[in-house]
Amino acid sequence: MASDLFDVSIDFETSHLFFPTLVHWILGGLLALILITKVAPFLAAVKRGERALPIVSESRDNLRFFATLALIPAYFALMAIVGDLFPYTGYGFLFVSMAFVLCMSLLYLHDWTKKALVIVVVNAVVAPSLAWFVLAKLFTITLP
Amino acid sequence: MEFLSVLDVSFFLLVGFGTLVGIIFGAIPGMTATMAVAVCLPLTYALGLNNGLALLLGLYVGGISGGMVPAVLLNIPGTPSSITTTFDGYPMARRGEGEKALRICVIASVIGGLISAAVLFLFAPLLADFSIKFSYVEKFLIILLALSVIASLSNSMLIGIFSGVIGIWLSLIGDYSISDGGNGHTRLMFDFMEPYLFEGFSLLPVLIGIFGISTILLEAEKGVKRDVAGERVKIGASGRFSLSTFKGSLTNLTRSSFIGTFVGMLPGVGGSAASVLAYTQEKNLAKDSSQMGKGAPQGLIASESANNALTGGALIPLLSLGIPGDATTAVLIGAFTLQGIQVGPLFIPENHETWYIMMTALVLANFVMFVLMFFAIKHIAKVVMVPKHILYPLIVMMCVVGAYAINYGIMFDVWTLLIFGVLGYLIQKIGLEVAPLIIGFILGSQAEVYFVKSLESFGTYSIFFTKSPIALVLWALIAASVLFAIAMGFKSRARQKMELSQMHTPSNTTAGKRHDSTNG
Repeated sequence: MASDLFDVSIDFETSHLFFPTLVHWILGGLLALILITKVAPFLAAVKRGERALPIVSESRDNLRFFATLALIPAYFALMAIVGDLFPYTGYGFLFVSMAFVLCMSLLYLHDWTKKALVIVVVNAVVAPSLAWFVLAKLFTITLP
Repeated sequence: MEFLSVLDVSFFLLVGFGTLVGIIFGAIPGMTATMAVAVCLPLTYALGLNNGLALLLGLYVGGISGGMVPAVLLNIPGTPSSITTTFDGYPMARRGEGEKALRICVIASVIGGLISAAVLFLFAPLLADFSIKFSYVEKFLIILLALSVIASLSNSMLIGIFSGVIGIWLSLIGDYSISDGGNGHTRLMFDFMEPYLFEGFSLLPVLIGIFGISTILLEAEKGVKRDVAGERVKIGASGRFSLSTFKGSLTNLTRSSFIGTFVGMLPGVGGSAASVLAYTQEKNLAKDSSQMGKGAPQGLIASESANNALTGGALIPLLSLGIPGDATTAVLIGAFTLQGIQVGPLFIPENHETWYIMMTALVLANFVMFVLMFFAIKHIAKVVMVPKHILYPLIVMMCVVGAYAINYGIMFDVWTLLIFGVLGYLIQKIGLEVAPLIIGFILGSQAEVYFVKSLESFGTYSIFFTKSPIALVLWALIAASVLFAIAMGFKSRARQKMELSQMHTPSNTTAGKRHDSTNG
């Protein structure tokens, strides 16, 4: 009978794996299809030199990109460390954000003129202070 | 009108504030309404439900509208949905009619926004009433429909589906929650991750990471160039604006607004689809479309009324089915949850007052947007000049606050930002689609519960076809969206082939094969 074909019983103990297993099969199937229909022709085109691989062989502002990738984790990590020194004050957020905003602004600033630098420094001090004051003090939101 | 009594001055101020901030975000190229909502989230934590809604809806409406400013003045769409605004807006600005163009946009926007709000008001309760009767089977099929619609509107359907399923997979990380009738076991992770990931990734840090941090990474890669280097923004006051510009545009306005509303209702479809569709319809149907693309007000009207009509449209599936209509409403769903609102079929019947307050905020935001943009456009236009080296660090900072405070101080949520920021960057780099992934992530865990519970109670897969006539209708819609995607795929491939054969008539060069695989 056709209905037997569709019958299914799910064991409660392993029911947390039922849907994920199905999703894995679907993902695997789709991946195979994509590899055949999209990736293989693409790689062939790369081999013939018509297309470039994404990320690997693209032109990129290496300094700004990798410095950003390093700055953000450093910011997160230091915030927690400094925050633990002054618990429940939000100082971790305040001080580390100042340093972070300053570094990132300088990183992204192209022409280091005196005027631009002054704006960057003022912004790095004022903006985190303002955010800290409004959020931590006025709204009593938990900050690191 | 009882609900009005619970509103106070701060409600109105917050709508205004939200709209203004939204406009500013929308006006800065590269910043979107989604990011405006994501960045301002921490402010809503401390606000009550009504005031939180006021701020969020203001940000949403303002963010979508703000995109017109750089579109007209700089030829850069501030948000993806204002792409078609550049076609006619920029030529007008170059003729010195920038102010006139912006004012036309503002009026078209407010009308689009209000029409879609009216449709939302009338239609969402009906849809909710209807969907209240849905069992798990139909609910699962609705999610399936949502995902297939998004996927079918992606560049490549296959990639769209794949991205959506990855989103679902990500949402399954964590425990199969006992409160959903699961067995409380964790899956898809190693034991050492359990303290962090027992409940899976939190929705908002994931969204903020994907929309906020990955945008920064994509920009950093390009070297954070000033795209308006040295160029002074001239607004141009010549060509005085008068309402007579709108004479004979009633059909265009109404049609574009309804197109925008309808496209907004489709899950996961961004604003660009709405405005492009409205623009092409005006081009096809207008008596005289010869000036379109050279600075014709009718193009602006079509584009801007459609993209603002998205706002009401996208809220329809969100409020009546719990399915977000676009990326911004995806963030809104998280913000609503935070305020204790469970969006879905029961939301409107059970929270009448909140529903009316939402509508008030939405309509009000449209009016505030109109007033601000119409009279203060000259000053607002200056924000397109805010340098990115000032802006980006502040965005990262606000993303951190948003993620950290969401579960009252969990550092892992901040790391989630980074994980999904990098993931979002990679996804966009290798050509996967963000929108289906996000929608998959939001709906994935519900899909699991509906699917598994349906099978547990009925014991057969065939229930998904035989449960009710509605199930069959939903299957028909799913099939229709798949067929639509296939048809569109063939059409665009045929067009590409035709264009290529015209370009390379002498010999079929290797370049001919190039385009076929560009979707990947």
